[in-house]
Amino acid sequence: MIMIAYYVITAVLLVLAAWNFIREKDNRQDLILYLLVIVPLILRLLRWK
Amino acid sequence: MNKDIVPKALLASVLLGLVLWGGLPLRRHRHFDVPIIKGPGVTEVRRLSEFSPGLAGTAGDTNVYVLQGREPGGKALLMGNTHSNEPEGMLTALIVIERGVVEKGTLFVIPFFNNSGSRNTRPGDGYPLYFDVATDWGARRFRYGNRDASPLDQWPDPDVYIHYPDRQLLSYIDVRNTNRTWPGRAAGPLMERVTFGAMELMRREKIDLAVDIHGAETMFPVTNCIVAPESSVKIATLASLTVKAMEGFESHVEPSPSGFRGLSHREIGDHGPSLPFLLEAPIPFLDQPTGPKTVQFLLDGKDPFLLSLAKKKKLFVPYDESGWPLEKRVGQNLSVTLELFRQFSKKTADRAIAVRGVPRYADVVKNGVGHFLADPSKAPAGAVVMN
Repeated sequence: MIMIAYYVITAVLLVLAAWNFIREKDNRQDLILYLLVIVPLILRLLRWK
Repeated sequence: MNKDIVPKALLASVLLGLVLWGGLPLRRHRHFDVPIIKGPGVTEVRRLSEFSPGLAGTAGDTNVYVLQGREPGGKALLMGNTHSNEPEGMLTALIVIERGVVEKGTLFVIPFFNNSGSRNTRPGDGYPLYFDVATDWGARRFRYGNRDASPLDQWPDPDVYIHYPDRQLLSYIDVRNTNRTWPGRAAGPLMERVTFGAMELMRREKIDLAVDIHGAETMFPVTNCIVAPESSVKIATLASLTVKAMEGFESHVEPSPSGFRGLSHREIGDHGPSLPFLLEAPIPFLDQPTGPKTVQFLLDGKDPFLLSLAKKKKLFVPYDESGWPLEKRVGQNLSVTLELFRQFSKKTADRAIAVRGVPRYADVVKNGVGHFLADPSKAPAGAVVMN
């Protein structure tokens, strides 16, 4: 149950970070930060080891 | 077309390149298997999941090498790589597997007790991914792992690890530490299933002695010692005094604290039939105030900062320009283990354990660890087991 909740939280955070990456227009530093945040979330969601 | 798409795609591509550059070596390390040669004494190779079915098909499952003697006697369990960044335990177990012949009794040897931890690393500390041990025929390569299991195999971590069954509050990271998850449970987190498997092995096979082989920092007070609870302390003391008198090295006895839960030297005796012993050999590589964490430092244990601290009497072991090399660490583990068997056999003749072919401290210090490791390329067909 906890594991499912964590995966749901991961997916929500991934969508939020990806959405912000798409919407960001000017600040390149934020773009890089969004990408950095997205990487572990994708790896965890895909369970890529 | 949105004018942002090109720079964003470029940025994402650069980051993907960096992720692959950093991630692929870690992936190769995770999937790198170590060959172990079944020595003349190995009669069977089992899996820990036979004792803890919840491990089947997971990275927590690991090989259990059985060395059954010609004559009946006592039984002992040896565990290396409980902490996979303390490789002297794994190498000690490996030498027993590849060289040992049991005359009386039975040995169960688990060289990669925390298999997941051995496929993990600590990049923030600059750990090497592999180390090579020089042998008479070339070099033998091993994975260098981490203290804890990989979060890829056991996730998420709790905020606080509540130990089972005592409910003592431990650090969150200890839920992945196989020296905090004893005695474990069948359906607990993965590392609890690992320790449960070992407990079941000890209970079903009626193991007399359980030896958990570690390494500890030179600045940590519990180092260069045998940790033993009340039930094991007599045998540990006799072994300690004997190796000091006969072989000239120190390995004092530390009492196992009854109030600190989850450790092998406490829980094995409290929840099963075995007498537990935890061996700690000093491993300078694990100390914090050192130079770079290189493979050479892991092997020879030489560091100028520790030398400076030793002169200020800040270390808990003698330390000089010779460092604390792998040969000493593995050699003293082997001698102490053999001495524990001998002392136990003297006290309990009907459960004697007699092993031959395993080198002692002076042999390993003189010839090196690699001298006692077999060449996988020259092993007979079917004798190599990948770990």
